[in-house]
Amino acid sequence: MRRWRARLAPTWSKAQVPVYSIVLAFAVAAVVVIVSSAFTASGFDPLLPFAAYARLFAGAFGSGNGVANTLVAAAPLMFGGLAVGIGLKAGLFNIGVAGQFLVGAFAAAVTGAALAAAPTIVGMPLAMLAGGLAGAAYGFIPGYLKARTGAHEVVTTIMLNNAAALLLTWAVNDLVRAPGFSFPRTADIGQSALPILAGRNLHLGIAFAVAAVFVIRWILVRTTLGFEIRTVGANPSAARYAGMRPIFITALTMTISGLLAGLAGAIQMLGVIGFYAPGITASVGFDSIAVALLGRSDPIGILFAALLFGAFRAGAPLMQIETSVPIEVIDIIQALVILFLAADLIVRRVFRVRAPKIEIVELATVTGSWGAGTPPPGTAG
Amino acid sequence: MSDKTSVLEMRGITKRFPGGTLANDAIDLELGEREIHALLGENGAGKTTLMNILYGLVTPDEGEIRIDGTPVAIQGPADAIARGIGMVHQHFMLVPVLSVAENVVLGQEITGVGGVLDMRTAERRIRELAERLGFSVDPGTRVNQLSLGQQQRVEILKAIYRGARILVLDEPTAVLTPQETREIFGVLRRLRQDGTSIIFISHKLDEVLEIADRITVIRRGKVVGSRKPAQTNKDELAELMVGRAVSLRVDRGQSHPGDVTLEVVGLRALDDRRHEILQGVDLNVRAGEIVGIAGVGGNGQDELVECVVGLRKPNAGAIRLAGRDITRQSVEGRRDLGIAYVPADRQRFGLVLPYLLPDNFVLTRYGEVPYAGGLGGFVRQDQPIRNEAGRLAKEFDVRASSLDVAASTLSGGNQQKVVVAREFRHDLRVLVVDQPTRGLDVGSIEFIHKQVIERRDAGVAVLLVSAELDEVLDLSDRILVMYRGRIVGTFAAAEAQREKVGLLMATGEART
Amino acid sequence: MKRLLAICAAVGLVAAACGVIPGTGSGLKIGLVTDIGQLEDKSFNEFSWKGVQDGAKAVGGTAQAIVTKDIADYKQNIQQFVDQKYDVIVTVGFLISTDTLNAAKANPSIQFFGVDQFIPDPIPANYQGLLFNEAQAGYLAGIVAGTITKSGKIGAVGGRSDVPPVVNYIKGYENGAKSVKSTVTVSINYVEDFNAPDKGEASAKTMIGQGVDVLFQVAGLTGAGVLRAACNAKVYGIGVDVDQYLSLPDSAACIITSAEKHLQNATRDGIKRFKDKGKQTGNFTNDATNDGVGASPIRNLNPVPAGLTDKLTQATNDMKSGKLKPIP
Repeated sequence: MRRWRARLAPTWSKAQVPVYSIVLAFAVAAVVVIVSSAFTASGFDPLLPFAAYARLFAGAFGSGNGVANTLVAAAPLMFGGLAVGIGLKAGLFNIGVAGQFLVGAFAAAVTGAALAAAPTIVGMPLAMLAGGLAGAAYGFIPGYLKARTGAHEVVTTIMLNNAAALLLTWAVNDLVRAPGFSFPRTADIGQSALPILAGRNLHLGIAFAVAAVFVIRWILVRTTLGFEIRTVGANPSAARYAGMRPIFITALTMTISGLLAGLAGAIQMLGVIGFYAPGITASVGFDSIAVALLGRSDPIGILFAALLFGAFRAGAPLMQIETSVPIEVIDIIQALVILFLAADLIVRRVFRVRAPKIEIVELATVTGSWGAGTPPPGTAG
Repeated sequence: MSDKTSVLEMRGITKRFPGGTLANDAIDLELGEREIHALLGENGAGKTTLMNILYGLVTPDEGEIRIDGTPVAIQGPADAIARGIGMVHQHFMLVPVLSVAENVVLGQEITGVGGVLDMRTAERRIRELAERLGFSVDPGTRVNQLSLGQQQRVEILKAIYRGARILVLDEPTAVLTPQETREIFGVLRRLRQDGTSIIFISHKLDEVLEIADRITVIRRGKVVGSRKPAQTNKDELAELMVGRAVSLRVDRGQSHPGDVTLEVVGLRALDDRRHEILQGVDLNVRAGEIVGIAGVGGNGQDELVECVVGLRKPNAGAIRLAGRDITRQSVEGRRDLGIAYVPADRQRFGLVLPYLLPDNFVLTRYGEVPYAGGLGGFVRQDQPIRNEAGRLAKEFDVRASSLDVAASTLSGGNQQKVVVAREFRHDLRVLVVDQPTRGLDVGSIEFIHKQVIERRDAGVAVLLVSAELDEVLDLSDRILVMYRGRIVGTFAAAEAQREKVGLLMATGEART
Repeated sequence: MKRLLAICAAVGLVAAACGVIPGTGSGLKIGLVTDIGQLEDKSFNEFSWKGVQDGAKAVGGTAQAIVTKDIADYKQNIQQFVDQKYDVIVTVGFLISTDTLNAAKANPSIQFFGVDQFIPDPIPANYQGLLFNEAQAGYLAGIVAGTITKSGKIGAVGGRSDVPPVVNYIKGYENGAKSVKSTVTVSINYVEDFNAPDKGEASAKTMIGQGVDVLFQVAGLTGAGVLRAACNAKVYGIGVDVDQYLSLPDSAACIITSAEKHLQNATRDGIKRFKDKGKQTGNFTNDATNDGVGASPIRNLNPVPAGLTDKLTQATNDMKSGKLKPIP
């Protein structure tokens, strides 16, 4: 027992603030639900949050289909979370996952449709590849701009998100619009769809996502490239001194980030949606930021954070049907989790957690991104 | 006992940290009125803990604090301030974007009708106070436009403004140039005249002997002695501090210079503000020779070093290693050719503070065999990295509870030893060391100096830059003086008199 | 201690998950899957939902809604109702039509209605698209605009030029206005974005600057900006889809009328048709003949211009009889 505790201690010390943030978010959201219940037709109900959370849990894990839905919703968030997370490791805040996701989804949809009649073993991998490469190319742009001109990636990626949505709308309307539909969309992907492994919708993309978690973890922890990425993120001056090329690493990391975001779009396209249409939302893009922060940019942390967010998505319908608690409660919980992570002092107070000796580089990247005058480490004082 | 009356007494102060470290072990300290009392000790001796107890930041396990003879309980900084204790931390606590006046009044704002900030009154008072202390500062200037020395004076101003009668300065000279140090000493003497009592924390022997009325030495949490400057000397204080006899003289021995290894010709380069800071530098360093660059900070030494190691691109001129032009080589390429570099700012360049020690020990060699291998050198090899880290930590006496701690948890001396251990390899040809001992205690300084000389004797060409003229004079076989981006003089070690070199540093001309 | 409490609360949640199953009423179970957004969007989701509730009441059934937040969730949200053995499933918006069609094919015993969904052949016997004659509604709005303009210049801001209903509205509007005053000029701008009030506002300001004094918005959230600009410039605004005088209180001061799809009638009537006549199929157009479209009550005009109400009634009757085609 004690040995176990000792072995888990380092993991727990990293995970405790995120875990407590989740607990606290659920608690605060429960209060919101109770208070707002007084203004609904069913009337004041102090037990409503318990019923709602119970159905949320049952919807996400209470049946085989529920678990499948959770995994299906979690898979693109794993890719997206990794995309944001690897950026944060290098000190980059890639807000452009939304745009890279769309570009990847579009490329996968078009390639998949073109190969709709080809065998799955041909069409699916090529469509995945197209999605990943398109995302990588779209991630390379802000990476290159940052490396060459110093243009801040937060600004450029926000712009590129809009550009992606508009460009793809035009592309669907004027280049690849499929005939026979009442609204503009791409053609069916046919055989290029990700094979269903089990049940109704448990597709192969989930295996890809989990594999990606371990590949990225391996790259970050075990390879020289990962060491370079982490060093550039932790201390760019030291990285330069050590003979690394921060400019190159920056551009490369954004490209890898875009690749992962593009793959998120590709599996969502080939595993779930099946066609690209203007108006497709990329909530994955923004949820990915939350997933990466909740997972502390650690691939394993991201795996669990994505599963949690996936469970929210999978469990929400049952919660709505059976308790009439609106889905916005999920938004509230998700927002609160991030709020408590950012303001971890609150969490530490409530749960009496001691502050870490090492500051969290990732959160500093995110919060630091908003001030133009943030000095590089070591120049202060 | 002091011949003056005591304003502050600390009796039997004991503090045990979780894990059993005894940071303070029954420390007694007494501060007289109008006294500058130096607290001397190595890094980690317990000086800062003791002062944090006085300032209410740490609660002692045992002991008593008396102010003006009355026992007091200090619960926090607010208490301490209310009792007339002011503290200037090692790392300044100023808000960079606020003005001097705003920083000084922060938390003690003067408000007029309806809570409106009355900055004009505050600025007037600050100006008066500064004049009384013997320096001028424009209260409207933003703090981030001030030099470190000026910022420190603002910190002092802030403490005095809040009515401090007892002023604690934690390593106030660590980040200052010699001139700034001299200026701050002037301020401290004025304060003493005005009736302020001062605790001055340091590990620099010269400074302590110059400024203090009394010196208390702490080692491993205990008071090991108290002296008046007139009754002691550097050697005795160093021995008290370290616990053994320390050689403060560097035994340089005889050098045996060989062929020219490093050659710099007509080097010109811009600084970060795009001014031409290097205006044609020529120098060479022979194998088995230490060449020291003396100069007042900001005359191009840092940029010269950066050009030599590949971090800065020169506009003109050439750098050669054993006759081979390396001007266009990358940092990594030069390192492969045998150039090592100990940067001036170890926290910014030399280390990645959140990394554990093994990663820091191989920071500049992470891509080399055997630390990387497999898949074309792509995979890091943990065991060789750990082995090397263990070996270096032992050889260079890096004191850490284990290898698996972040570099940020080490003391400054141990951090520097990590950098030195990593860079001082045996297969070197050129060793560039910039401020190798800045902020270190005497034990670490002695150790690092020995290592530099050992490398020289092994045939390495050493280029040394230091703001401490004594260090340059003690270590170098040849001394070059740098002034406004040029080398303005060369001295053989035997001919280099302190005054001559100092004059050349200050004026760029050698008048007789 | 606090830590302990929090952990207990978390454990309590998990335990509760295994027990609670609230019961539902008897009769038809009717589920609504919304378009992306929120339930109270004062537009398609909200009024479709109101109609579903009305319909459930009318047939003695129960109604529940699932709000969709992402296109990837459509399938799962529909499936949730299928799994819960719902009898009627109503989905909102054209993006969800593919998933609705697939679900209808897979579950022939369940009746599906698709609000604003045109279903291409072959149409399953248990799936009906609920469409609207936007041109008729737009035509009526155009009559109002043509009547009240003083400058003889009116404008319309569209969300997207690739969405046929939007285009139909605006064409009908143009023709309706010209039927009243043949000299009227109609400025039309598609901002290609349904979610950008700022773009809507900018577009509207440009038109107002050119002398336009009546603005018709067919642009979702973007349109809120159009109406805001109209109010700020003290010119007339015309809403779309629902009576925006009620749904957009911020702009109520300048909204004269709205080209309205009677969504609430459409979903309610669909449910009633299913109850009365069994499985519904095909594309069902709600138009003037079944009170499926109309102009919302005239607001903010005192007095209402002479003859305007008559003109609207006349046009409605002519459209009912088939004599008037808003887009020839």
